[in-house]
Amino acid sequence: MGSATTKKPEKRIDITINGKTVSARKDSFLLSALKENSINIPTLCHHKDLTPNGTCRLCTVEVEVRGKKRFVTACNYPVRDEIKIETHSPAILEHRKLLAEMYLGRWPNVPVIQDIAKTCGVTAPSRFTSEMTDPNPKACILCGHCVRACKEFMMEEILDFAGRGIKRHLTMPFGEMDKHCVGCTSCAYVCPTGAINIVDDFNRPHNPDMIRDHGMKVNAEMATLDKNQCCMREVGTANIVEVMAAYDLLPVHNYKFGTHVDVPKIDSMLLRKKYITQNLPDGCWKGCSMACAKTIDNFELKTGPYKGHKVTVDGPEYETAAAVANMGCFDVEFLAEFNFYADTYGMDTISLGTTIAFVMECFEAGVIGKKHTGGMELKFGASAEVLELMHQMARGEGFGIEVGQGILRLKQKFAKEYGADPAFLKDIGMEVKGLEYSEYLPKESLAQQGGYALAIKGPQHDEAWLIFMDMVNKQLPTFEAKAEALYYFPLWRTWFGLNGLCKLCWNDVVPADNFKENEPAKIPGHVRNYFKFFEGVTGIPIDEQTMLDQSARVYNLQRAMSLMFDKATRKDDVPPYRSMGPVTVEEYESRAERYDKQLKELQNINPAGKNTEEKIQLLRKYREEQYSILMDTVYRRKGWTKNGVPKISRLKELGIDLPEIVKLVEKHQED
Amino acid sequence: MSSSKLMPGDLDRVAERVRKQHSRYKGMLMVCTGSGCVAAKGFNVRDGLARMIKEKGLEKDYLVVGTGCNGFCAVGPIVVVQPEGTFYQKVAEKDLDAIIAQHLIGGKPVEKLLYKDPVRQKTCGKMDEIPFFSKQQLIALRNKGLIDPENIEHYIARGGYQSLRKVLDAGSGDQVISDIIASGLRGRGGGGFPTGIKWQSAKKAALARDEKPYVVCNADEGDPGAFMDRSIIETDPHAVLEGMLICAYAIGSNEGYIYIRKEYPLALVRLRKALEQMREHGLLGNGILGSSFSFDVHIHRGAGAFVCGESTALMASMSGKPGEPRAKYIHNVEYGFRDKPTVLNNVETWANIPAIIEKGAAWYASIGTGDVSKNPWNGSSGTKVFSLVGNIMNTGLVEVPMGISLREIIYDVGGGIPLGRKFKAVQTGGPSGGCIPEKMLDMKVDFDSLTEVGSMMGSGGMIVMDDRTCMVDVARYFISFLVDESCGKCTPCREGLFALKTTLDRICKGEGRVGDIGFLEELSKTIQATSLCQLGGSAPNPVLSTIRFFRDEYEVHIREHKCRAGVCKDLIKYTINNKCTGCVVCAKNCPTQAITGERKKLHVIDQSKCVKCGVCDDVCKFDAVEVR
Repeated sequence: MGSATTKKPEKRIDITINGKTVSARKDSFLLSALKENSINIPTLCHHKDLTPNGTCRLCTVEVEVRGKKRFVTACNYPVRDEIKIETHSPAILEHRKLLAEMYLGRWPNVPVIQDIAKTCGVTAPSRFTSEMTDPNPKACILCGHCVRACKEFMMEEILDFAGRGIKRHLTMPFGEMDKHCVGCTSCAYVCPTGAINIVDDFNRPHNPDMIRDHGMKVNAEMATLDKNQCCMREVGTANIVEVMAAYDLLPVHNYKFGTHVDVPKIDSMLLRKKYITQNLPDGCWKGCSMACAKTIDNFELKTGPYKGHKVTVDGPEYETAAAVANMGCFDVEFLAEFNFYADTYGMDTISLGTTIAFVMECFEAGVIGKKHTGGMELKFGASAEVLELMHQMARGEGFGIEVGQGILRLKQKFAKEYGADPAFLKDIGMEVKGLEYSEYLPKESLAQQGGYALAIKGPQHDEAWLIFMDMVNKQLPTFEAKAEALYYFPLWRTWFGLNGLCKLCWNDVVPADNFKENEPAKIPGHVRNYFKFFEGVTGIPIDEQTMLDQSARVYNLQRAMSLMFDKATRKDDVPPYRSMGPVTVEEYESRAERYDKQLKELQNINPAGKNTEEKIQLLRKYREEQYSILMDTVYRRKGWTKNGVPKISRLKELGIDLPEIVKLVEKHQED
Repeated sequence: MSSSKLMPGDLDRVAERVRKQHSRYKGMLMVCTGSGCVAAKGFNVRDGLARMIKEKGLEKDYLVVGTGCNGFCAVGPIVVVQPEGTFYQKVAEKDLDAIIAQHLIGGKPVEKLLYKDPVRQKTCGKMDEIPFFSKQQLIALRNKGLIDPENIEHYIARGGYQSLRKVLDAGSGDQVISDIIASGLRGRGGGGFPTGIKWQSAKKAALARDEKPYVVCNADEGDPGAFMDRSIIETDPHAVLEGMLICAYAIGSNEGYIYIRKEYPLALVRLRKALEQMREHGLLGNGILGSSFSFDVHIHRGAGAFVCGESTALMASMSGKPGEPRAKYIHNVEYGFRDKPTVLNNVETWANIPAIIEKGAAWYASIGTGDVSKNPWNGSSGTKVFSLVGNIMNTGLVEVPMGISLREIIYDVGGGIPLGRKFKAVQTGGPSGGCIPEKMLDMKVDFDSLTEVGSMMGSGGMIVMDDRTCMVDVARYFISFLVDESCGKCTPCREGLFALKTTLDRICKGEGRVGDIGFLEELSKTIQATSLCQLGGSAPNPVLSTIRFFRDEYEVHIREHKCRAGVCKDLIKYTINNKCTGCVVCAKNCPTQAITGERKKLHVIDQSKCVKCGVCDDVCKFDAVEVR
């Protein structure tokens, strides 16, 4: 997601600094151009992670634009023209010196002020000493860092200035302790003088400062990078609806296709324009600086028990929007209503959408008919029927009772009672281990096929979301690389769950310099943040191996215990073919160019003269073999047998070779 | 009043009907109900006249109209009998009988209520005989005293909304913009930026980004002693609104705002009524005057902060944020209100627009200084409204052509300095304007000349000071105002102005030190150069201009600890000399009982009790009180 953001080519412009012509990024602030050219000028109200506001005026420089000279502040002056800049002329130095003297007169004992005074050459006692002089070495110097941090890091406005002129001072609304303050300490963190005290009286973490130092990095990235990456603050996870469609990865019509012309009718551009209009920080918990939970407000329901009510819809998130695409219902009003009733009835939008998409394909393929659906024309795009089906499920009535049981049981019923072809149902029924697929089209990504089907709980993307690494960033070229990813990421993602930490701020925004890392896919900068959170709370330092071991104990335990339900051997890790390749002629032909090319380049088969059915079979054989090799490689990397069961030696290694666990796996040890 | 939506041709019909109605009367009594006259019971005069006319059965012959400000606030309440133009001043309720009996019934003007020109010692029966009025040229104030500001039909009868109609008929917004550029009109709010160029930039930005621009009227007039904008709104609100409509059409805006301070209740009432009547007449909303043009105006009331007159602070305040300015490296015409392209013009600028459209750019450009036909920066065209206050005979609101001399404004229009005192200086441009001395009285008044002498046009405040004024104290007064009104966001304005104030306070207390003048100058220059907005950028003007033209006064304060003008209390002492006749008037009037003495004997002031209020000097008829 974040790592996939492609960088726009930056425009550069020539500027002349102190007589020397250099190139600068267009529309960047002048101060950064000066820094790039190692020209130092004093600043006081500037903070690298906060929007500049140009109040201390110390960074004043002289700029000449089209022959006109004027003084500007470098921190917030945008480079737009070919300008000439003087940074250290005698007049500028005089002004800076006097400004520094003003500061020294007001706050003579604050270290940062003393430093600035020294830098600017103020030696004599300040002529600005007055009854306003504050001798406190930790006095507030009105730089406004805290005000901006509250607003930009946390999207709160708990701190601001009150009082005009010389009476300007920092305050909470009406001078009272504001109950909206969650104690995030961003303000104290950015304060250059220590004027804001932190009183840590929560649950006594081992090292609050360590947690804070790394938490603030997350906050700063949210404030500065998210708007150029995923816009999680603005639209939440729905930001990727159009991205997935652009990469042919959005499931459409029960995972037949990866995109559709009507995607703009449900995408995040539409949502942010007309539906997600509250414009409030809206996190899972107050104080989250990503705040990606979004709501549609004032939505009037058109069906069901709450018909006519105006409600707030919690969402839509990406998965819900994509589930709607999967059912072919490209209508944002339907999306909102679907989302609302799924939440209200306690239904999972993913299982619901994937199951109904399966039913729709069965209906269109003639596997079932109106007599089975209670008269409903359940074709792709039948949004009114979907809502009716949901209401039936909730009431426990009609066809709703059957659909509500999910794909695994529907397949059995359709084959047994309606005489459907079990093989076809197996190919198009998007479930593994009884759980419905989440909403990504994994057909072209072998790694993601494994990510889904090898997942212990079934095909959800929580365990291994590799689609972008594999498909878009091409970071997993070999089986070994894919297996390594399928070893590392499930364990890393398990670790979030073990510690009760949200994983979105691991990869939905990435550091600006992530591309410089050795293994950018892991987003090592953010992994380090989490390790420091762990250490800050527990006092126990942690590294990658310790993390992997912690997770592997739980992960292997889960796999072993799944044997009790007969869902943990090789046969249970095989996906329906729809997730690996085209099942039908229609599917193959919709992407014939791509598949023909594969036959030619990967299988050395000339597709010319072969009919589609033949080509489907050839491709299928290749892809199933590939998947089989992948399973072998992954099992090996995980320390499991060829049958996908943890080896006792691996359990020993992890220290979980407890008798009852060993008893579960011992009969599956042949390799 | 009809509530039907007007079509273009209806404007002529309404105008004709109203004119006919008015011509049936023998006379119309135009009672000034601007804020100044209202304070002097102008409403009572208006209502009293109407009631009495009815009682006498004259209501078919005479109509009483409450108008906006006439400008001559010094002599209010004012009643003008039209069409002949008889001008009654300082009319009280007790005078109404005389006006009705003598004038309306008897046909003879009431002599005692007529204006007497103190300079020429001549009674002026008619309005146009009064020098205060005869030297003015009215464009922004073209309807003052002639219409009821609360009646849209009065405005239409005077040709109102015909300019809008003309613009809608022509169909080209770009032509309007070119006309405004060619007229040379520069912003009347103080900055003097060419209005047409501002519109052009906003339109360009809006088209480039496919955004709807906003049109905003700045009515946050906050200069002490200035009331141009207030009066224009109270007098002729539709002129302002028609100007906004024309701009909105020209740049493709559908939404406008008026930012007006809450301390202007009467202006607010009249604005609200104007908007209501415009909606009724289809001059706001969808399909204005039968065209496809839609526009509406909202009122935003400011809480009254001087800095909110600054454009970016105003927009912050309108957005519900603290009224603080931001850096203007990216202009409001690109990213203004709600980050949309925004045209912000001052009340007076808006009021000029319909007149320019009506009479043409060339006509407007021909008034004033410089040749602006090619480039609006080349001069100052048109007229400017000033509020003339301070030690001046004719306090009030005047509109004069650009390029008129200060002397003409002060002596011809303003009637000179009262009580036979001597002129000392005039401060133009509001609190952060500069003080201009007598030797420069012949300079022409326009944007560039005023800036050259270290002052500015500002929004048009003009404070006249006589020889009893201490220039150090004047600087101190204005800086104190600005210290209170600075938002405190940037360091030079917050800390620097405060230091200017403490230094001036010290000098006025007689604690000045050698080097203070140099410090004031050095500090002023840094404040000017480095402040975030123009409040700070212009704030040192009063200090720098008084040092420039009245340096000796500073030196006397510092070296001799004396205030020659007798203003700085710590430097003066009141004593009673032997001219005292022992009349005891001073002792009776002294608020602190500091004066003792028996009847017919020399009185003495106890310096420990004296608060130097000067009451004794004011009341003494024998010139016995001395100030040293």
